Amino acid sequence: MRGLSRARVADVRVDDEGIFARSRAERVLDVHFDGRRIWSFWLHRDGTRTDGGYLVTWPKTLRGFLDGTAQVTLREHDAEGEAPVFDAPVALGSGQGQISITTKDGRPIALDKSLRRVQTFDESRSDVEPLMRAIDEVLGALRQAGVEAFLAYGTLLGAVRNGHLIGHDSDADLGYVSQYADPVDVNRESFRMQRALTELGYRVTRYSGAAFKLDVVESDGTIRGLDVFGGFFRDGRLHLMGEIRTPFRPEWIFPLSEVELEGHRFPAPADPSRLLTATYGRSWRVPDPAFHFTTPTSTHRRFNGWFRGIRHQRARWDRVYARPPEPNPEGSDLARLIVKREPDLREVVDIGCGAGGDVLWFARRGTRAIGLDFARKGFARAARTAESEEIPAQFVYLNLLELRSVLATSALVAREPGPRVVMARHTLDASGRRARRELWRAARLMLADGGRLYLEFLIRAGDDGYAESVRVRRRRPAMVVRELEEHGATVVWRKTLPAHGPGTPGSPSMICRMVAQWDQ
Amino acid sequence: MGSMKRISDRVKHTAARSATIDLRRRVAALEAEVQEARALNLRVAELTDLVTELMVPLATGDEERIKATLAKYHEGI
Repeated sequence: MRGLSRARVADVRVDDEGIFARSRAERVLDVHFDGRRIWSFWLHRDGTRTDGGYLVTWPKTLRGFLDGTAQVTLREHDAEGEAPVFDAPVALGSGQGQISITTKDGRPIALDKSLRRVQTFDESRSDVEPLMRAIDEVLGALRQAGVEAFLAYGTLLGAVRNGHLIGHDSDADLGYVSQYADPVDVNRESFRMQRALTELGYRVTRYSGAAFKLDVVESDGTIRGLDVFGGFFRDGRLHLMGEIRTPFRPEWIFPLSEVELEGHRFPAPADPSRLLTATYGRSWRVPDPAFHFTTPTSTHRRFNGWFRGIRHQRARWDRVYARPPEPNPEGSDLARLIVKREPDLREVVDIGCGAGGDVLWFARRGTRAIGLDFARKGFARAARTAESEEIPAQFVYLNLLELRSVLATSALVAREPGPRVVMARHTLDASGRRARRELWRAARLMLADGGRLYLEFLIRAGDDGYAESVRVRRRRPAMVVRELEEHGATVVWRKTLPAHGPGTPGSPSMICRMVAQWDQ
Repeated sequence: MGSMKRISDRVKHTAARSATIDLRRRVAALEAEVQEARALNLRVAELTDLVTELMVPLATGDEERIKATLAKYHEGI
């Protein structure tokens, strides 16, 4: 199917494979479905060279929607008022019905520059007031907690360009420059900021030791992210999470100036254009909805080392639990083994509880049960069930990659007198070395009053689909025993057995169950 | 003479390549060690934060206060 074409971008073709076009010069193209911008890309950077042009395949995050027909329009992003380079009805997939790129409850979505599905400001310009109020409140709370924050990244860019949020953006960004120069102090200061905002009632999700996100709920139920990035001066350079490390003068930040955004006055760096140049390069005035940061490796290495490492695997598990799963009401074989081996069982703690099926199963039998996991969405449904059934089940956030979380959660659990059983089913085989070290630490602290640790993990991935279904990698029992012993535990029982995968096995997956205890 | 020079060149080339590989290994090891040291920033910050926020309430021995402090601290993570 061929639509209109212009001299600069020619031979545009839109089909199931993606978008093909020829252009000697690099172009940023906006893709509209039925008049609504859905996605933007750089033709050369994001395309594959073929047939004398470039083919940009549909992003994975969009493919699920592309079944039906739509009026597809392609425009050069910086060519306002000019004719589109393509404008024609397109049939994709079965070609049946109308293509609708919306959430399940009908809210329009688009792709951001990282190709994530988001609800952009384009769609909800009339409803930015809650976000503006949140920005104002958060700036005030941060000021009270001791830092002078300002608009940063895309939010500053929109304010300086035309006083509005950028249409293709979906969240708001604040930054602050700490009075400290040592990363250790910048981390600590950020923890304090988080507490101040939690006290105001915000749900805070931490990205790293120096950056976090607040959830702001809009009147239509849309949840907007408000990102807060910590920064500091060190060695004559401004460091601002998560992309900037550049020679910079303090007087380009302080004293803060003011900019207008959606009719409100907000603080900005003393010289916003300096920060925007450091962020987006000299061409920051030219809109680019497909902008990619080209942050030097040396900057990433520093930020990774000083601040990051607490979210390993988080995106993956958030995707798994994007739709909160139904907890398994049957209880696992490991749960049954615990009941069989522990006749005096009073309390069970499930580390890495996932959807929380075992926690509910124990609680329904009258055993107090606590489910711990870093994916809150995973156990959200089980937590609601526990509340409605009024059974002794509790679900608590635990991130094995945050020492504060491990120690505080373990202390909360251990405050109630034991003994208890700690179980971890397919947790150690979903965890790296650092997380396992904290798993052993948490188990030891929780079992301070006695009790046992029950483990189940994959030791061989067969062709029965089991490993994929539980999303883990095999671990050697000898390694697990060695790690437990290094942490002062004794393995008192173990058994190797075939797992029950969803497929028909040629060679079955194998799992190991292991019981360990700490002699008090 | 020609073959001697070829052998000499080959030896030099092999030695240079081996030195490059050795240097790459050493740089990779050094980078890993630098990252290890950098990671202490977050660990020390976490421990200091925990001790600063919890030590005094714990020292009071007031059960209710300890429980409330711990729960509040956990909430703020």
